[in-house]
Amino acid sequence: MFQSERWRHFDFWLLGAVFLALVFGVAMIRSAIGCNLSLAALVQRQMIFAGLGFLVIMLVALIDYRFWGGAIVPMYAVIVGFLLILYLTAGQRFGAARWIETGLVSIQPTELAKIVVILSLAYFFGKNMNAPRTWGWLVKSLLIAGAIAFLIFIQPNLSNVIVILVIWAVMAWVSGLPLKQLAIIAVVGLALAVIAFFFFMQEYQQDRVLTFLFPDPEARHGATYNVDQALIAIGSGGLSGKGYGLGTQTQLCFMKVRHTDFIFSVIGEEFGFIGAVLNILLLGFIIYRCLRAARLARDSFGSMIAFGVAILIFFQGAVNIAVNMRLMPVTGLPLPFISYGGSGLLSMMLGVGLVESVILRHKPLDF
Amino acid sequence: MKTDLFWRFRAVQIALILSGLAIIVQIIHIQNSPEAQAILDEGERYTGSWQTIYPARGEIYDRNGRLLAGNRTVYEAGVDLTSVKNVSEIATAAQLYLGLDYATVYNQITNPESPDVVYVVLDKYAAPEDVLVFQEFQKTISGNSAKNLSAVYFQPHMVRSYPERTLGSNVIGLITIDGGKRSFGVEEKYDSLLSGTAERRWIPSNPHDAREMPAIPSSTALILTIDREVQSAIENILDNSIQVYGARSGVIIVADPQTGEILGMASTPRIDPNQYWNYNDMVLGGIPYNRGVSQAYEPGSVLKILTMAAALDKGVVHPGTIYPDLTGEIIVGGFAIRNWDNAAWGNQDMTGCLQHSLNVCLAWVAAVQLGQDDFYAYMQQFGLGHLTGVDLAGEDPGRLKLPDDDDWYEVDLGTNAYGQGVSVTPLQMIVAASAIANNGQMPRPHVLKATVQNGRQDELPIEIIGTPISANTAQTLTQMLATSLENESSLALVPGYRLAGKTGTASIPTDDGYTLARTNVSFIGWGPVDDPQFIVYIWLEQPTASIWGSETAAPVFKQVVERLIVLMGIPPDQIRLSLSGQ
Repeated sequence: MFQSERWRHFDFWLLGAVFLALVFGVAMIRSAIGCNLSLAALVQRQMIFAGLGFLVIMLVALIDYRFWGGAIVPMYAVIVGFLLILYLTAGQRFGAARWIETGLVSIQPTELAKIVVILSLAYFFGKNMNAPRTWGWLVKSLLIAGAIAFLIFIQPNLSNVIVILVIWAVMAWVSGLPLKQLAIIAVVGLALAVIAFFFFMQEYQQDRVLTFLFPDPEARHGATYNVDQALIAIGSGGLSGKGYGLGTQTQLCFMKVRHTDFIFSVIGEEFGFIGAVLNILLLGFIIYRCLRAARLARDSFGSMIAFGVAILIFFQGAVNIAVNMRLMPVTGLPLPFISYGGSGLLSMMLGVGLVESVILRHKPLDF
Repeated sequence: MKTDLFWRFRAVQIALILSGLAIIVQIIHIQNSPEAQAILDEGERYTGSWQTIYPARGEIYDRNGRLLAGNRTVYEAGVDLTSVKNVSEIATAAQLYLGLDYATVYNQITNPESPDVVYVVLDKYAAPEDVLVFQEFQKTISGNSAKNLSAVYFQPHMVRSYPERTLGSNVIGLITIDGGKRSFGVEEKYDSLLSGTAERRWIPSNPHDAREMPAIPSSTALILTIDREVQSAIENILDNSIQVYGARSGVIIVADPQTGEILGMASTPRIDPNQYWNYNDMVLGGIPYNRGVSQAYEPGSVLKILTMAAALDKGVVHPGTIYPDLTGEIIVGGFAIRNWDNAAWGNQDMTGCLQHSLNVCLAWVAAVQLGQDDFYAYMQQFGLGHLTGVDLAGEDPGRLKLPDDDDWYEVDLGTNAYGQGVSVTPLQMIVAASAIANNGQMPRPHVLKATVQNGRQDELPIEIIGTPISANTAQTLTQMLATSLENESSLALVPGYRLAGKTGTASIPTDDGYTLARTNVSFIGWGPVDDPQFIVYIWLEQPTASIWGSETAAPVFKQVVERLIVLMGIPPDQIRLSLSGQ
């Protein structure tokens, strides 16, 4: 396990890109909270989480990913247990039960759950790679993702339900989901979404969707306020931005949740178009390295793990940025590696660790 | 990865790349679409704000540079509702240290006017010492309470302050700090100078974009002609006299007859302009803020000096002209006019007429010797019925009925001659009498001596508003008035100083006509007669100790002059003349 020859395959490009993104993220968090001294401790916390994250990457990279294949069931059971505990002992924060308070830190099991879903689906799809693509195959995979998605849905946390369903759909697609089935689940999914909107969504969730679809131009400080502020931030950033720590939208606290959901706007304002594009390219490079691992993986399980992590990073990043630019309704998804948030960051880095584990053990092409 | 599934993998890859491109396109769109400028303009609104910057209001000084009106710093105490954690803590601290009411504060914070309100003003005028104590208290506590109390903000701003309190308040006027309304006196009259020019400036709110506070033209400070010492003296004398003689109200004005400078102007009642809210009671009660310029009344015999001045100037009488007062009565326009004592005083020269204040004689001078055209022409030249143009707010022009007016009757000519049936303000009498004291020339009365702006002091020039009589007439009449005071051993006399003057006792018109039951007593006088330095007007309304001006207003004049010669450093005539003769 510690042979130096193995480490030749360790993806230092991926690790380096993640490191770069984290440094950039910490810097942006520091700028984003500039106007609120009471948040100053967050910079240090994020750095601590980043450090822990690198330990996680190394540790997980050391462990052969195929080990998780044997531990899928207990792992799945543990995370379901966590989510159940969360639901039952719901500490209400911002109207939704998403944290487990441990005294030291508050953990969001949802973040971990997404990794577990990726592992479970990868295991299932990998194991059944040669099985016929029957409805049974599809429904089983949906149940694996759906059980956890349901537990997240009742928190309620719609954004991560969608993340999980998207991961499932894309993984199913790449595993050979027949087009006919795809068409049917698309129609059923849309129908369910409409039903969910009217019958299961919380009012604030409905409001967000409605606000996005039909923005109210009068709502100066209402539902579109923050997105408007974000647009002003990005719009006023220009080509090269106003400079680090000089974005007025950011530094004067016009935008809310600057250090989490709207950190992309901070980047856009202070580093302009160039900064935003570089940030996208950096995330794109990380995703590319994950997809590369998926392509090179020695087996379907590893390939699907790396692929799922790539989709996770991509989807969360894309949704976050799209929200910042009023392309999507407001959700609470952080920008991977950049936004503040310990659990989210650790889960992402856990994912990167899995990808490293996959690429470490890929089929040597360089005989 | 199975090769037959590889195209699916590629499809996903392409989708991801397209999504990334779409995001970049959207950034370009946000930054460059036609809406982009609107977004930028909107963003501009958040980078700062247009603020109107007012220069500190100009100070007001007396003629010797003593501060009469200045500015002091107070604090607006407000609460940021979004940071409030514990309302009762804040309310308790506000009650303890800012002297506010616990329940009021509690209610202000818990029930803001609308749900959108995020900032509530607890006290707009918290005293700096209270704020200091509050902030010291904030330092001593820690933890959540400290965090909670930091929701209270203090912002300094300036308010008007009047260090001399009631002194000269009738002249200075006041500012109601609530609405910033300038009311009365110099504050109202010279508001634009005192306010200076407010300018709108763009103040960036970005702390990194700190700019120098824009310099704005400073406001103008005013130096008044008022002498604080004179003002204080005459206010004391006035208050004391009102008490001694049981009068309802009163006015004392001291001016320089050669320049028109008002050295002091006392009026009752006076309020402390620092407690501007009390003025409402005054205004609602119909009480003039400054009787000296705002309340016209029938002055009575003091006006005889104007009648005599007109007749002397016209040449229809001279000091030696004898009026034979055989009956103590004269018929003018079908009405009988009598002397104050209803007695006949026999042959009297013009000095005697003034000395004994004979109504019959003066009615004869006006109606028989002078005639109505000349009489009213002179009275108008003296400024009766017209604003003096003094630089104080709220001046009343008084009322001089003219033969063309519907309510004028021939008898008015007779009564006007001795100051009844005509209303004037005390200041108008000062101005008119200045002509007699100052060789026929009437200077415009004023309280503004000089303006100070940017370290530059501009003195205001003396302005002559009229020359109703010749210098000769003025000197002759002054001598007559001085002699008449001496002859009657008037209570107005001050040993060592030759003074000219005239008392007045005017009946107050009531529903039953004019009676002597209620009178206005007045005195106009100036001195030293060879080079008048001061002209003084006294008015006491309805004295009860005596109804006669000679027994009330005259001794008040004496008290005033006794103070003036000390305060103004005027040596006795003999010493002064011997010094100047050297």
